[in-house]
Amino acid sequence: MTEMLPGNGAAGEDLGDEEGGARALGRDPFADLAEPDPFAEKLELLERIPRLRAAPPPRPLRARRPRPRPAAEEGEPPPARPLHRRWAATPPVAEVDLPEPRGLVDRVLGEHQRRVLASLGQLVEGEASYDRYGFSPSVMRAAFPAFYALYRLYFRVKSSGHENIPSEGPAVLVANHAGLLPFDGAMGVVDVSLHTDPPRLPRSVVDKWAGTLPWINVFYARAGQVIGTRENVADLLDDGQLLLVFPEGMDGIRKPITQRYRLQNFRVGFIEHALRASAPIIPMAFVGTDDQSPILYDVKPLARRLGLPVAPITPTFPWLGPLGLLPYPVSYRIVYGEPLRFHERFGPQGADDPRLVRYLANQARRAVQSLLDRNRS
Amino acid sequence: MKSVLVTHADEPIGRRIVKTLYHDDEVTRILAVGDGPPPRAFDRFLGGPDPRVLYARVDLARHRPVSDLFHSGRFRDAEVDTVIYVPRHGAAAETGAPIAAGLPERTAEARMVLQHGLETATVRHLVALGSAFVYRIPPGNANRLDESSELDLDPEVPAEIRSWIDCDMIFHGEVHNDRLRVVLLRVPTVVAAGGYVYLHPFLAGRPGPRIRALGYDPICALVSDKDVACAVRAAIHSRRPGIYNIAGMEAVPLSVLARWTRRAALPLPGALLSWLSASARLVGASAARVGSDGPHLRYGFTLDTRRAERDLDFRPATRIGLARAGDGALRLETASV
Repeated sequence: MTEMLPGNGAAGEDLGDEEGGARALGRDPFADLAEPDPFAEKLELLERIPRLRAAPPPRPLRARRPRPRPAAEEGEPPPARPLHRRWAATPPVAEVDLPEPRGLVDRVLGEHQRRVLASLGQLVEGEASYDRYGFSPSVMRAAFPAFYALYRLYFRVKSSGHENIPSEGPAVLVANHAGLLPFDGAMGVVDVSLHTDPPRLPRSVVDKWAGTLPWINVFYARAGQVIGTRENVADLLDDGQLLLVFPEGMDGIRKPITQRYRLQNFRVGFIEHALRASAPIIPMAFVGTDDQSPILYDVKPLARRLGLPVAPITPTFPWLGPLGLLPYPVSYRIVYGEPLRFHERFGPQGADDPRLVRYLANQARRAVQSLLDRNRS
Repeated sequence: MKSVLVTHADEPIGRRIVKTLYHDDEVTRILAVGDGPPPRAFDRFLGGPDPRVLYARVDLARHRPVSDLFHSGRFRDAEVDTVIYVPRHGAAAETGAPIAAGLPERTAEARMVLQHGLETATVRHLVALGSAFVYRIPPGNANRLDESSELDLDPEVPAEIRSWIDCDMIFHGEVHNDRLRVVLLRVPTVVAAGGYVYLHPFLAGRPGPRIRALGYDPICALVSDKDVACAVRAAIHSRRPGIYNIAGMEAVPLSVLARWTRRAALPLPGALLSWLSASARLVGASAARVGSDGPHLRYGFTLDTRRAERDLDFRPATRIGLARAGDGALRLETASV
């Protein structure tokens, strides 16, 4: 029998309520609910008048039938369910319902290009017309004629090896980067879109610096480009999308003319993500981009002071002002190499080995360099 | 069977949560507390001889009223085992907003609720609603963020966002508590039918024109209030503590969202915006009204919700878009799919 100590609820200290439980301390905020309704008297008066009877009290809502839930015991939570991921897909070009030509865009483009645009437009569903990276089919449709004109008339792009691009599932296009302004990325997007069926929209992975630029950052996003953060790349590959990466980064576009067609060191993040997502790596070579804006000298102190990645001196810049930054009308040649299926040999756990990842990045670099060397001649 | 306490139930998201839980037969009793009088929407719930919903006015930022709440007879009789912490909406924690115990109100409330949740023996589960604006937003129009993304611990963040980060970290610290199962839901901009918008540092609060950064139109992840309520319901039935991103299906640029919610967004160059923001801070004006030069005006984000899909079985079920109302005007509407 427990002995009651003074001060702990002994005689004279009633800590229990009627049911014998602990007494509530302080002011009960719900106590107001028990107070009489101040309008009750008036309601009674109203109810005595037949024609002015008060409205009946609101009927409580009927609860729905309970949903059966799996019986689970307390303690260990149930194992997590695997997610079913649906890969983003576009319909084949032949199956697209092509609306009647309207507007300038439709007059400029051929039927195939319009079908491709219509197919890519189905990547985005719903009212909003923007995907989770800000891609807008309507902006792409409006901008496509200008880039297609650059593709056909200005850079006169020729390409080969499209059969190496998988028609579905995650994949990483790994390319060389050069030419001061990233027209190589734009031409790559146009080329892949036009030569795959169902059309695939390669999501170019761009540098974080581009995301800070007003207007440019918006246009990039609306055209389907993404910033190269870990979460973006992992999510896109998990969604089965096609990435276009330039592992040289800014080192590629600011390399001087003496380093022409010589690849800079590759970053390794794309290998890690490709291994984790079981995505093949497709080497891709842009021949011609190194000649579009040959950099004679990079004024690095000036670039640092202005917060720019490069302060170039070219044969035309800064002598012609901003016009001097425009690329020369060189001819592009885009070549896709055979896929490197590192994931089949090393699996997702290979991504955790930094030496292996560095080695595979060098392998990819060699593959791109080899494509470049073979096609330059 | 659950018996739940819902805070700030008089505000729109809290109301929606109470309504959703009322239709959940596994929830036997709902104690709803808020700052104001009981919402008219609760009339149907509060009626009857033994209503499942009880409402009381409690100032959650002060110790005594919260202590009275957690020690009240109704709380004890209801055997509340789940506390749903719905934060104060809008731009409450700005400079000049009420300060309780040296903290912005939102932070003080979060501390009080968590502290009493930990001390109350019957409470075993706490679901807290936080903001996704706590993340450090990398440059770019739209970036994907998951639960392991970095938080923005920059001391220069606006006070409104700092209070969200403080709340987030208060709950984050108890996620691994053995006795109290803490679930923290990070939600982006919440929209409701009619064009209402909550929890957005730029658009929330009173209607009226806003100032945004010229040359930037960041993507805003959206979630409807109905989906938030569904996520809360999923969280209280889940036995997995942790942090989860919750988002809907849509993501739209800030300019579109401003148009949908009938707020004029005036773009200003960055330098002018910085000057205006600094001046507003000096005179104590709300950043939500005059704009701020924070990254959330330049850079956007969307949320990776795979963890919530996997662990909470949450999937957004509401589409958000414009629909033509009876008077012919286009209004933001939410519709179940």
